[in-house]
Amino acid sequence: MDAAEQVPQGGGESLMTDPDSKLKILDCQASDHEYLHKDFHGALCYSIYYLDQKLGPQATRDYLVEVGRKNYKELVRRLRAEGLPALERHWQEVFTREGGKFRMEYEGQTLVLTVEECPAIAHLKKTGQLFTTRYCETTVVVNETICAEAGYSASCQYEPGEGRCVQKFWKETESK
Amino acid sequence: MIACTEFIPAYSELFKFLHATGGKEAVVRFWESLSDAFLGNLRDLAAQKGLAGCYEYWSHSLTEEAADFRMVLDEEQGVFTIEMRRCPSMGRLLEDADLEPYPDYCEHCDVLYRRVLEPLGFEYHIDLSEACQKARCSITIRKKVQ
Repeated sequence: MDAAEQVPQGGGESLMTDPDSKLKILDCQASDHEYLHKDFHGALCYSIYYLDQKLGPQATRDYLVEVGRKNYKELVRRLRAEGLPALERHWQEVFTREGGKFRMEYEGQTLVLTVEECPAIAHLKKTGQLFTTRYCETTVVVNETICAEAGYSASCQYEPGEGRCVQKFWKETESK
Repeated sequence: MIACTEFIPAYSELFKFLHATGGKEAVVRFWESLSDAFLGNLRDLAAQKGLAGCYEYWSHSLTEEAADFRMVLDEEQGVFTIEMRRCPSMGRLLEDADLEPYPDYCEHCDVLYRRVLEPLGFEYHIDLSEACQKARCSITIRKKVQ
């Protein structure tokens, strides 16, 4: 290791190379990088495709309901406590982090999220990964489930595969 | 949209869902199918560049996943190792009190990568003895001796 050359990388990670032994070492701490692995969209898209093929669309829906119920408990708590601004913050963070093109506004008591370029679909298409037009059902069902858990409703209008949609959120006692 | 940062809990939930419908066999069948369909980039890199391709694949994915790890590529000895000090996936599942991880969650890393690498002439060993409790594991990949 004496001959190893330590090359600083981004953040605190280090890459060490030893030209004689061809040893390469990459040592990283979690704080060295932002957690953003967009290929996970591909794995999720494949999962939807797989469930549709093997178990049918109802099973896919049942699975997504479970995801909405079990994985978004903190968001549901915030939505119950704070109302639509909690969802507004959630979407702002998600779409900003992933580089989506979107805008949000209120129509009366309804929060409207207009997605002009879905970052997930953009990544799938850019990287040539499998895409199923059923992928957007993740948005439809998970949104509906999160909102229902908190006493709200949701809708999502999309053209399959276009990467654009209009999502609406409102309290159940109010009309859309 | 399920954010890519929210994928891991959805992945774990999928394993639980498949297990409930068809037992562990159904989960393993999914892992095998995902490996065949989704890991073409690892397959291509390992086939073209050998262990250096493995290094390239994991250096990209583990930095994007903000993992805490050390990987060593020793071309002379024909061995590539990953010491995962804190797996970002299992770590996330263990940290969030709202989540209940699929008990055999970490096994997907055995099935997915073994299925790609062994047919290409590599030995693949993963030590998961501390994986599910401490989000730690280690992977060793060697060129098979002919």
